[in-house]
Amino acid sequence: MKKLPPSRIRVVACRTLVVFSCAAAPSRAQSANAPSPGEPPAFREVVDETGRSVRIPQPVRRIVSLAPSLTETIYALGLDDRLVGDTDYCDYPPDAKKKTKVGGGIDPSLEVIASLHPDLVLATKSFNRLETTQSLDRLGISSYATDPHTVADIMSSVKTLAAVLGVPEAGASVAEEMHHRLDDLQQRIGSLPPKRVLFVVWTQPLISTGKDTFLADALRHAGAVSIIDSSQDWPQVNLEEVARLQPDFLVFAESHSGDASREMAKLATLPAWKIVRAVRNHRYAVTSDAVNRPAPRIVSAVEDLARQLHPKAFAEKSDDAKKASGKVNPAFHPMPFMLVSPGHAIHAHLSSAGGCACGR
Amino acid sequence: MRPLTFRKLVFECFFLLVILFFVVVVALKFGAVPVSLYALGRDLLRVLLGQTSQISSDYGLIIQNIRLPRIILGIIVGASLSVAGTSFQALLRNPLADPYVLGVSSGAALGAILSLIAEPHLALPPAFGALLTPLCAFLGAAVTITAVYFLGRRQGQIESNTLLLGGIITASFLSAVIVFLMSTVNSSNTRGMVFWLMGNLSTSFQKSIYWFLAGGFFIAAGVIYSTANDLNVLLAGEKEATHLGVDVRRVRFVVYMAASLLTGLAVSVSGAVGYVGLIVPHVMRMVFGSDHRTLLPTAALGGAIAVVVADTLARIVVAPNELPVGAVTAVVGAPLFIYLLRRRFA
Amino acid sequence: MSPSRGSAAPRTPPESARLGTEIRLAVEQVSYAYASNASQAPLFTLEATSFQARPGEIVAILGPNASGKSTLLQLVAGILPPLSGRVLLNGLAVHSLSPRTRAQRIAMVQQESRLLFPARVWQFVLQGRHAHGRSLRFESRDDMLAAQNALIQVGAAELSDRWMDQLSGGEKQRVVLARALAQRPLLLLLDEPTLHLDIAAQVGLLDALRRLSAHNRYTVIVVTHELNLAAEYADQILLMHGGRCLRVGPPAAIYRRELLEHVFRVPLKVEMRGHGRPRVTILSDS
Repeated sequence: MKKLPPSRIRVVACRTLVVFSCAAAPSRAQSANAPSPGEPPAFREVVDETGRSVRIPQPVRRIVSLAPSLTETIYALGLDDRLVGDTDYCDYPPDAKKKTKVGGGIDPSLEVIASLHPDLVLATKSFNRLETTQSLDRLGISSYATDPHTVADIMSSVKTLAAVLGVPEAGASVAEEMHHRLDDLQQRIGSLPPKRVLFVVWTQPLISTGKDTFLADALRHAGAVSIIDSSQDWPQVNLEEVARLQPDFLVFAESHSGDASREMAKLATLPAWKIVRAVRNHRYAVTSDAVNRPAPRIVSAVEDLARQLHPKAFAEKSDDAKKASGKVNPAFHPMPFMLVSPGHAIHAHLSSAGGCACGR
Repeated sequence: MRPLTFRKLVFECFFLLVILFFVVVVALKFGAVPVSLYALGRDLLRVLLGQTSQISSDYGLIIQNIRLPRIILGIIVGASLSVAGTSFQALLRNPLADPYVLGVSSGAALGAILSLIAEPHLALPPAFGALLTPLCAFLGAAVTITAVYFLGRRQGQIESNTLLLGGIITASFLSAVIVFLMSTVNSSNTRGMVFWLMGNLSTSFQKSIYWFLAGGFFIAAGVIYSTANDLNVLLAGEKEATHLGVDVRRVRFVVYMAASLLTGLAVSVSGAVGYVGLIVPHVMRMVFGSDHRTLLPTAALGGAIAVVVADTLARIVVAPNELPVGAVTAVVGAPLFIYLLRRRFA
Repeated sequence: MSPSRGSAAPRTPPESARLGTEIRLAVEQVSYAYASNASQAPLFTLEATSFQARPGEIVAILGPNASGKSTLLQLVAGILPPLSGRVLLNGLAVHSLSPRTRAQRIAMVQQESRLLFPARVWQFVLQGRHAHGRSLRFESRDDMLAAQNALIQVGAAELSDRWMDQLSGGEKQRVVLARALAQRPLLLLLDEPTLHLDIAAQVGLLDALRRLSAHNRYTVIVVTHELNLAAEYADQILLMHGGRCLRVGPPAAIYRRELLEHVFRVPLKVEMRGHGRPRVTILSDS
């Protein structure tokens, strides 16, 4: 299992424990501070994960999230009452759908964001554009961007973000939880040979995921290894290569049930795809959409995938697994990503359809 | 005075066929998976003799099921686009015309994106589901062809400039609709649309589709070829052509329909592969002359060669990843077009 | 332009032997009108006009601009449908013929569109054979002979291998005429053929027309506004003015000073010369 790169954690941690610039720093006229009369506005200088230097007003009371993964993280940190706006795509947990919508990730409405008077806007490099953060800068609204490339990055990102938002203990706790579950997983499947998989983003043309994405890292944690070794993030892959390498499984991420089995059935009718043994034998695994989001819930997706790929490692401990998935960490409320592992629901659906090769 | 003879025509076509053969052999040999010439020859022979069950090696299966169909698709698409391009250049009396100028590819793209949006909500049998996108793309193309035809008429018959204007306006309108859909419809399937738009030969189909495409090509190209002499005379001018005995109205209608059909077929299965339909006719004109009796078949063969070469490069250059073939044709085609412009089409 | 042009005396045979006796072209009360758009009343371009022509005859349609000359020519060519009346070529109504059949009998020479792609002269002339035989075919020996003969007859045989866009105006005009001749038509129509030619070329062209019409028994109809050329070469003249045909007849009958001054609106003088051909001199304002 991958170790957390210690150097990176230290650097980020140092940077967050910096100078409190006080009333000496004049706040700009348009600074979107929550009204707190009599209190001099405080700022904190941090460097975000893309290397930008950000002045964050303290405390952070109003947050706008520009990515579904960041929304989930905020809920996981228990800060959902401070979340005043999120994107159209933020649908987890269900409560997030009720927040004021600011638009999409690529083109959020600056007017709506400004009208919400956020203290901080959260963005992430893979979902949002640099121009959006620059526009927000010009409006005097601070924005903080994350850029995780591995599951470890996600964990440290959560901790850093928690510190920035003033709840370091919650951050540490969430990260610890993730770490713990991944360690558990590693114990179960760490000694097993990883399954060779092809992660399918799109079938015609065939698009998979590169080796430097957090997706690829998530696969590694799930006891799988992507047969595609590309430095591009979303490489178009030649079917011949897949036919030569013959992956054990095809892995799909589902936005709603039924898609993957239909895709597999379609592929099975094409002579070019029938050469791939996994297609002929209907060996495929499905994870929830959480695997696409660099948020704490990715751990559930990883666990779920591991269950499908290495069923024997979980068979005798299925009762424990059910208990673990229902557990709620009592210290912090709520942790929706632990309540229901979406993969289970899809699983049940698939087993009844008879298409999944995972044993239960 | 050296008029065209049957023998000359056959000779020129044969010459190109030989080149095509070599290009196909190279394309079969090279790819993400290396294949030796011996194994290639042996397996090809088995395919030809129908002894497909004896192809046991993985390489053989790859050749038969992935590479060979892909090359066949490339040949059909390249030939279709070149013949369509030649026809439109004659029909519109414009050397800058290409198969997409009348909006057919935009219509096909709109059909494709609509199918991608609708697909999750339809419960289709799997074999049909794999065909949905090309089918809808072709329908989109057909509707566009009809609409532009009616836009392009003046006093009951197609008029070149009116047709060109109607086609360009339709193409921009459809593109705007596509952009609108892609930015507002919240469907994960629309992400795949970007790849479709770039022109791509990696889509695989059932066997019957290849037969259908080949049949469609030969019928439509045959219809266009029957007007080859008429097109020659038409190049002298529309009024002159009427005086010389060409039924301009009928020829325009027939050529428009057949060439648009060829474009629609090609675009439905491969997306919009650019530059082939524009440049191959000009190169063939430089080499073989403007007589359409030679130009049409040589353009077809030339287009097939160009697309197979481009696709082979697309597969090899960043193996095991691949580039979309439209990217290769653009990178090669644009400088080539500039060179041709400077020589003013010889 | 003719290679063996020497004496001033015409080489044509006497008129009675030159013209055939049967009527080849009968234009009977043809008229034409068009409306620029559907809601407006139609504008008369041409009022009812009639004339006849025989093999070997040269007819000139004479008049100033916008007198309906070109419209009449297009009606004779069968491209426009007559509003009333009919045009009969050897008894067949020309407008009802298919373009192919028409092109076997009628050839038109007019202002040429620009060629889209380069072509050689012989390729250009061969196009005249398009109407003879199936559409998709290779040219036969007969086709090639017809094209070669046509080039020889216009005196352009040495231009055969040149590129069309390298020809001079006069050379191009000859080649265009050759293409028309290659059609081996019954009726040869020319719309303002002398527009861009110098004097020598103009005379050369009309000489050739006279020679060819006699030799090949063509009926030639020329639209022109050149008074003296028409007087010199035409057997029959239609004088057009404002969409009406004012008079039909031989030059001697048409060229009356008052009539011509009324039509062309310039002061002029008409002289009758020895061989029955009038000559017109424009008088300058003084």
